[in-house]
Amino acid sequence: MSMFRAKKLDLGCFTNIKIIRDHSKRKAFAAAEPERQALRYIIRNTTLPARTRAIAQLQLTQMHCYTRPTQIRNRCILGGKGRGILSDFKMSRYNFRLQALAGNLPGVKKASW
Amino acid sequence: MSVPRARLLDLMRARCELFATTFNPEGIRTGNKILRQRLKGPALASYYPRKIMTFRDFQKEFKPLELEVENEEELDRLEHIAALKARGKGAPKKKKTKDVKKK
Repeated sequence: MSMFRAKKLDLGCFTNIKIIRDHSKRKAFAAAEPERQALRYIIRNTTLPARTRAIAQLQLTQMHCYTRPTQIRNRCILGGKGRGILSDFKMSRYNFRLQALAGNLPGVKKASW
Repeated sequence: MSVPRARLLDLMRARCELFATTFNPEGIRTGNKILRQRLKGPALASYYPRKIMTFRDFQKEFKPLELEVENEEELDRLEHIAALKARGKGAPKKKKTKDVKKK
């Protein structure tokens, strides 16, 4: 959704629309996280009246889908791929292999025994 | 040898006071575990590397020193476009939009 997108591109890595989308989801989630946690607390607290908790449930489900943490997916910062990501390196498996063989990743070396 | 429940509860209360935890002998769900969780938004939002500086900013930094920096990639691009235009293969000019209101 474009209202969550930064007015000016603020990414320094490979960019395509999927990366921009994921990035805006991350920022939207970070901004809405305290509110989400507060609602979650109200929902889980059984000492509060049932009505309050039901309202909190409704409010949580009606928040924009960009503010949900489950919408966030790690993507490759070199190629934007969404599958086969090594999250320690933020790279897809093939890009990781290329970078590792080129010696760009400190501490990574090809195993051989 | 059994210990009375009241005594056990006293012990629990004292323990809660000592370690500053909530006294909740019935185990009622108060949702405190949500409050104990750390916020993970900042860590998630910093996944992609941010843009540090654009080439234009870089050129602006050097302007006061009267040093000119050339953006070679940009020059290459402009040269390529000029070559295309010379052959008549360039992108068409934008339409002058006078009839916007008609739509």
